Amino acid sequence: MQTRKKILRTALALAIGGVLTTPAQVWTMDADDAPESVTIDSLATLYVPVEFDHALHVEITSCEQCHHHTTGGEVTDKNCARCHTTSGEADVVSCGECHESDRFHEKYLKTLEAPELYHIDKPGLKGAYHLNCVGCHQETGGPTGCQDCHTMTEAGEKLFDTHIKHSPAKGHSATGH
Amino acid sequence: MRIFSKERPEIPIVNHLKEDGTEWTIKEKLWLGLSLPEYKKQFFRNPVNWLMIGIFAIGVPLIMQRYLFGLGAVTHASNDYPWGLFLGFGLFAMVPLSASGFMLGTTVELFGRKDFHPIERLALLNGLLGYFFAVLFLEVDLGMPWRLPYPMFVSLGPAAVLFLVAWHVATYLTVQIAEVLPAFFEWIGWLKGKRIIRKMVLGLTIAGIILSTLHQGALGALFTYAPSKVHPLWLSVNFQWIHFFCSSIFAGLSMVIVSSTLIRNFMAWRCDDEFKDNLDKITMGLATGASYAMITYLIIKIVAVAHDQEWSYLLTGWGSYYMLELGVAVVLPMLMFAFGVRNQRLGLIRFAAFITVVGIVWNRLNTALVCYNWQLYQEIPHWKEVWITVTLYSLYFLTYRFIVYRLPIVYEWKGEK
Amino acid sequence: MKKTVSRRNFLKGGLAGTAAVAVLKNKESQAAHDFEGYPEGMGVLVDLTRCVGCRSCEAACNKEQGLPEPAKPFTDYSVFDEIHHGQKRRTDETAYTVVNQYDVPELDHPLFRKIQCNHCQEPACLTSCFVNAYTKTPEGAVIYNSKVCVGCRTCMIACPFYIPTFKYSSAFNPRIMKCIFCYDTRLKDGKPPACVEACPQEALTFGKRTDLIDMGRQRIRNTPGKYVDHIYGEKEVGGTAWMYLSSVSFDKVGFDTHVPKEPILNSVKDFLAMVPMVLTIWPGLFVGFHLLATRKENIKKQEQENDEKEEQA
Repeated sequence: MQTRKKILRTALALAIGGVLTTPAQVWTMDADDAPESVTIDSLATLYVPVEFDHALHVEITSCEQCHHHTTGGEVTDKNCARCHTTSGEADVVSCGECHESDRFHEKYLKTLEAPELYHIDKPGLKGAYHLNCVGCHQETGGPTGCQDCHTMTEAGEKLFDTHIKHSPAKGHSATGH
Repeated sequence: MRIFSKERPEIPIVNHLKEDGTEWTIKEKLWLGLSLPEYKKQFFRNPVNWLMIGIFAIGVPLIMQRYLFGLGAVTHASNDYPWGLFLGFGLFAMVPLSASGFMLGTTVELFGRKDFHPIERLALLNGLLGYFFAVLFLEVDLGMPWRLPYPMFVSLGPAAVLFLVAWHVATYLTVQIAEVLPAFFEWIGWLKGKRIIRKMVLGLTIAGIILSTLHQGALGALFTYAPSKVHPLWLSVNFQWIHFFCSSIFAGLSMVIVSSTLIRNFMAWRCDDEFKDNLDKITMGLATGASYAMITYLIIKIVAVAHDQEWSYLLTGWGSYYMLELGVAVVLPMLMFAFGVRNQRLGLIRFAAFITVVGIVWNRLNTALVCYNWQLYQEIPHWKEVWITVTLYSLYFLTYRFIVYRLPIVYEWKGEK
Repeated sequence: MKKTVSRRNFLKGGLAGTAAVAVLKNKESQAAHDFEGYPEGMGVLVDLTRCVGCRSCEAACNKEQGLPEPAKPFTDYSVFDEIHHGQKRRTDETAYTVVNQYDVPELDHPLFRKIQCNHCQEPACLTSCFVNAYTKTPEGAVIYNSKVCVGCRTCMIACPFYIPTFKYSSAFNPRIMKCIFCYDTRLKDGKPPACVEACPQEALTFGKRTDLIDMGRQRIRNTPGKYVDHIYGEKEVGGTAWMYLSSVSFDKVGFDTHVPKEPILNSVKDFLAMVPMVLTIWPGLFVGFHLLATRKENIKKQEQENDEKEEQA
């Protein structure tokens, strides 16, 4: 199933690439090709979907900062560089294609037992988003609070028991603290 | 007890028959041969009983509170300190103090030291009651006391040290009941029962030594489950069971000295001449034994410190506390015993025995509470926990006294034997 | 004649007294041998460098296990400042897992550490339990059976991580409360525990324990300087199913680095090994003592009897 998808995508990418890029950089994507905005809703149960301003982030940083080696640019991550300096642009660059949304599913865990050397520790989709975003935001002073990026749904409020109003004075003497 | 005067030669009861040749009924024996008003009078005249009434007046409601609202309502037992005074004192201190039963049983029955015979029954009774009340303390402390027989019959975890403690204490309690029964049989006049027990006495005694060695040691071994929690000076993984076993020897002997002293001073009417005349000599014998056990204990304690390379701990505050404990609870009474025996200073010996008894309680509380979680914080027991402990100990005292008043423990039955 | 009778009686009593115990002790020594853990057991690798202290795991655990409503909502981060008896928060009868914050001087940001049952390979709670209330399942969980528990709380004494808690508030239905790796609802169907699934940062990685060790080593190797070179739980107390990676030495983030590197049971073995010896040697030894000690008495008795017979004759 996955291989068929891959072939299709490769064909598509080749077609688009052939039209839009110069032969010298045939495997490198252009930032301008990227979408303006991406709606991240694959995991939206406890939080409403995130409207990710892709264009804004393209201005701030380079593609490989988030997309590793897949966009065909210079491979900066040392671990990717072990194998992927010459891999060029990948068939797909969207996060969800590589990062499993059901990271700990029994079947997926089984595949990890194959002697694939470096990808046994590939985070799942949710982990990939957060590790990438929060990691960078912590360094650059971007928003890091949960609800800075996505507001909680009703289900989330229920899970986190947000209805509880904790007042430290409750149950203490009138003088309080 | 001035009621037992020359005008009433038939009491205290030492025989089935009254002066006039008729038999005492069991009921009369229970009232000590007194009429009900007389019994009441002597009971309320005793200030100790008033103290007991005071303790129970508050203690009994507290125990009810424990059973109705849970352990959390009366103790400071917590998730960091799962064991408090009930076990720290009731189990870990009561059991070594009850080692007297097997010590004297062995001395008299196995080693043939008949000179200790007058105190043998007291030692056995002391042992039996100590164990019985240790179980009672456990019943207060267990979360689900109604499941006490579970480790025996319902769900067995035979690899656990506590499993061994449970089985051994249960078996040993049976052995001790059997050992004390002859006194009861004499008193009710059922000689057949006594003869049956008499035939088993050697087997019972040897079973007693085995079970005692193992469960006294096992109580120590329980703490080896917490090698990173108990302060290293109070826990030696290799020697812990020997420490607990060895200290139980002088603990049991000292407890008998204390108990016999109290009985001779406050229940002289109940003691016969054999008991009274031999007590000083026996006490010196017990003191000699205790001091030998103490020097052995001291050596193993030092060996343990050397073995675990813990000398540097001795220079810390905990080290000072450790040396204080060893000094006051072991070295001091040991020297007092030795000096007392050499110079026949009975008062000194008896005082030393008292120090030893308190010292053992101190050591067990140190291991189970004070030096447990030494890296976290110290737990101070709830006052209700203290009061319940005192209440149960008072019940122990009353039971002890009740039996010594009646059964031929410190006197010889003059009727058929 | 009298002598033989008493000896036979001794044998009877002695055997009766010790046979039962001997049988039980045999079982004991069998159960005490080494156990390496189930090879297919699952585990979780907790990466402290990833945790942001969002408390999602606490919230998920609370709902999954049907625990009582907390005093403060799970979005309230003031709980990180709570101190009881000088200690940070710990597990209790209302919380199987707790996240604590640690300010480490060499870092410009705090670190967070989640605690819960570590599901030891050879659990101290299990080996110390005298009613067999604990089970280590092949899936890796250490589960608890409240139906046989007596409430002695030895498991709480034995646990080197201070994890099992007791429902002190209940008089009629108390029990041990502790993380069971979501065994009933998830793990036994091959699913990760609720906390792992809730973690946004994948600070919790669920997988086969052996794979997780590889993974941990890879993280340490591939990102030099990021981690201290140690997986806490790989060797501690004989290995745990839940293991930790940290960027600072573990004692700075609340771990007890002095726990033994072997199972807790090993420190009890000295005593357990002594048990069969006492059971076999003591009876013979003390009968010997008895015969020696009473030898003179018996000889005297026999002489007396002989004298009496001679007189009669």
